[in-house]
Amino acid sequence: MSSSRCIFIFLVILLIVFGLSRLGGTISFAQSNSQLLPLQGFTAFDTPNDVGDSVGLIWKVSENDREGVHYIVSTAPSQEGGGDGQWTKLDPILSTTCYKSDFPQYFGIDESNKLWHFYEVSVTTTTYFKLAITDGVNIVEFPSVVSATPKGNWFDTSKVNILVCVIFFSGLIMFFIRAARHNPNLFIRHIPGLDAIEETIGRATEMGKPILYLNGLHGMDSLSTIASISILSKVASKVANYDSQIKVPCYDPIVMSVCQEVIKEAYIAAGRPDAFKSDNIFFITNDQFAYAAAVEGMMMRDKPAANLYMGYYYAEALLLSETGAATGAMQIAGTDSITQLPFFITTCDYTLMGEELYASSAYLSREPLQLGSLKGQDVSKALIILILFIGSVLTTFGVTFLTNLFRTF
Amino acid sequence: MEEKNNKIDIILLLVFTALLLGVNIYLFAGKILPVNAIGIGIVIAAILTLSLYSFLYKDNPFFKIAENLFVGAGMGISVVIIWFNYLKPELYKPLIRYAVRDNIPGEPNFWLIIPMLLGLFMFARFLKKTMWLSRWSFAFIIGGGAGISIPVVIHSFILKQIEPSLQPVFVDGSFTLQSINIILLLSGTISVLIYFFFSTPHTGIVGNISRLGIWFLMVAFGASFGYTVMGRMSLLIQRIQFLLTDWLKINIQ
Amino acid sequence: MIELLLNIDRRIIFALVFLAVIIPLWVKIDLPFKPTATVLGVYDRIESLPENSVVLLSSDYDPQSRAELFPMHLAVLRHCFRKNLKVISMTHWIYGVGIAEEALKVASNEYNKKNGEDYVFLGWKPGFAILIIGMGQDLYDAFPTDHYGKNTREIPMLKNVSSLRDINYLVDLAAGNTIEPWIAYGRDIYGFEMGAGCTAIIAPDMYPFLQTKQITGLLGGMKGAADYEILLKQGTLAQEAMRPLTAVHILIVVLVLLCNILYFITRKKDGRKKQ
Repeated sequence: MSSSRCIFIFLVILLIVFGLSRLGGTISFAQSNSQLLPLQGFTAFDTPNDVGDSVGLIWKVSENDREGVHYIVSTAPSQEGGGDGQWTKLDPILSTTCYKSDFPQYFGIDESNKLWHFYEVSVTTTTYFKLAITDGVNIVEFPSVVSATPKGNWFDTSKVNILVCVIFFSGLIMFFIRAARHNPNLFIRHIPGLDAIEETIGRATEMGKPILYLNGLHGMDSLSTIASISILSKVASKVANYDSQIKVPCYDPIVMSVCQEVIKEAYIAAGRPDAFKSDNIFFITNDQFAYAAAVEGMMMRDKPAANLYMGYYYAEALLLSETGAATGAMQIAGTDSITQLPFFITTCDYTLMGEELYASSAYLSREPLQLGSLKGQDVSKALIILILFIGSVLTTFGVTFLTNLFRTF
Repeated sequence: MEEKNNKIDIILLLVFTALLLGVNIYLFAGKILPVNAIGIGIVIAAILTLSLYSFLYKDNPFFKIAENLFVGAGMGISVVIIWFNYLKPELYKPLIRYAVRDNIPGEPNFWLIIPMLLGLFMFARFLKKTMWLSRWSFAFIIGGGAGISIPVVIHSFILKQIEPSLQPVFVDGSFTLQSINIILLLSGTISVLIYFFFSTPHTGIVGNISRLGIWFLMVAFGASFGYTVMGRMSLLIQRIQFLLTDWLKINIQ
Repeated sequence: MIELLLNIDRRIIFALVFLAVIIPLWVKIDLPFKPTATVLGVYDRIESLPENSVVLLSSDYDPQSRAELFPMHLAVLRHCFRKNLKVISMTHWIYGVGIAEEALKVASNEYNKKNGEDYVFLGWKPGFAILIIGMGQDLYDAFPTDHYGKNTREIPMLKNVSSLRDINYLVDLAAGNTIEPWIAYGRDIYGFEMGAGCTAIIAPDMYPFLQTKQITGLLGGMKGAADYEILLKQGTLAQEAMRPLTAVHILIVVLVLLCNILYFITRKKDGRKKQ
């Protein structure tokens, strides 16, 4: 009995020692990892809105996150690891970086995104991931392995606002083009520079001197040249009516042919086809400064009563308009070349700035395509003004939903 | 009077020619400039620079020669670079080479036939009968170009610009210099947009706001004008530095 | 007198400008220049890049704009090489090839950098926006060879740079409208940071992109280049031009003021005559 009691006592002691040792082990483990809590919510998924060349990993932000603590992501082509069972460790991620909220293009704008870490890994095939956290001494691993397969996405949801804008603005312009076809008398405000054109033609007629009309340096594919031709057509019909003279030195041979046709039509419409001289619309050269030099020479020799510069210009703008001003001609310019506008404003009597050139063209031609586009753009501008105004007021009072609607990624 | 002026011009032209010749002979004879590619290159550059600047006095043969040389040399360089940097590695080597030479390793890239044909169709414009073919190329360029550029323009130049314009006027709850900036930016954008608004007559309040828009525009044009002056003068300074230091070897440091 | 001044021969003004340039080239005056914040935006970003980061330098200008852009081109390259950054150089402008090559040659010789290891020159290719998109999708496809005909897949420096996503910073030096395509088709799609340098003429158009932070900084014209040289404490190409530039600016300001005064005097006189 005593021996059995001894054995019993021995066993009890053994159990207590074993239990204590286990407990001690647990205590020591808990002590050394007291500042590294278990990881939560580790998930892998195909990165949204991409071409299929990456997957995303997310896990919950925890109290572990601080300076000096890093997350380590390991990858392998199978759940068991690579060919030799090895996992490839990626560069350590500082625990205070890489949040879901840093990637609104994938997750939108949401306060809760700050509670999750996000890490994007470039892979093209199904890949398995392990996550661990370390403070340099201890490591705690997420208990399970996760995997994801990258897929290309047909639709980028982060760009929905751009799609909406494209559809809306295009729709608006198309609607107004249709409206302009039904009613070509849509209202366009009076543009002061246009009155001056009539004045110049009258002046030229009185003086018995020609009008010099330039179309700029762009070809027929440019909006400013198209607008310039529309204005030329109206100028030419007035010139034909007043029995004045117009000269059009051209930089582009195709533009020259179009100008010839347009002016010829204007003379025919005025009932004076015999007065049309095709030699007055001529090609000079398509070298910028050679063209400028030739036109300057014409200005000095012919001393035209008026110079009209419509279209797109580069550095020759000042050379031309300065020479024109020196000859005492009345000058009207119209260009969407922003860098040259200051020079035209200082040297010309009237300047049609930027969009005013297109507006003048639409105003004079009443062509539905131009008129509708202009109207559509006007409504778009009005909306933008409204958004800017309301958005700024709301943002000032801390309401950011409108700003977020226009946020692009 | 005009005849007298012409005579003066001819004399000036001759003096200019003599001076150019004399100075360059002196530079070479005095071994100030080396008689090699570098030296000759510097002399040509100097002569062309002065010839182009001679336009400030009047249009003249020197200016015309220099201008035509400039255009010609530019075209020459383009042809060489287009061939060696583009057509040869992108079209000749992967496609045409296989048709004109034997025993070339690898397979030709037949996909390139499509862009090559589209490119060749552009030349079809020269003949009236085949002109219609060029429309296919244009359709491709315009369709593709619009498809690529429209969303990008809305993204980068409209929405990206709207977003920072929607700023709170009070920075951290107080009215600061930054607040003035934000108000200026907002009023500038809105007033200029209203100036370019054509569907309403510019009278009353709209007229007043659009007048403010013109002021903003004029300030912007003034800034642009100032920058342009700096740009043009920088070119002049660099050319004068070149003439003095590289050509005439005058120490200005 | 007023009539005489108003009808002054323009060649006299040309002569004055010439003198305003040439005299300060000889007369040394130390002018206090302080680098502008926009220039610091590019300098600081490059300064903050760790060694071996990849910088793409797109030199989109030709000899006509060399005066303004070459000094900043050289300064940015020197900065990159000094910081041991890897440089990819290219151009959208056909006439820019020679200048880009020259700048690389000068800067790489100064820092003993090797082609293919420390820098690579891709040369010129047409396409602008399409080329940028192509580079964003696959750099090796967009540029199968570098300017010297070497296969880009075999160039050691490009080993880990397969698309624009792999570059750390881009600087576009532009004499035309290439900054906007780089922003719209490059930076905004592929998510790299970029800075810009440009001729003075287009600099005002670039300020909206600074405000939206689509570019981190801007080197505008000769002043921008001089600022960069001051920050770098190396190079004098642009700094030397600051004295004549300041003198010419003073002359222009005086002429503008004078013309305005004369304008108001003549307007007043005309008004009196009418009365």
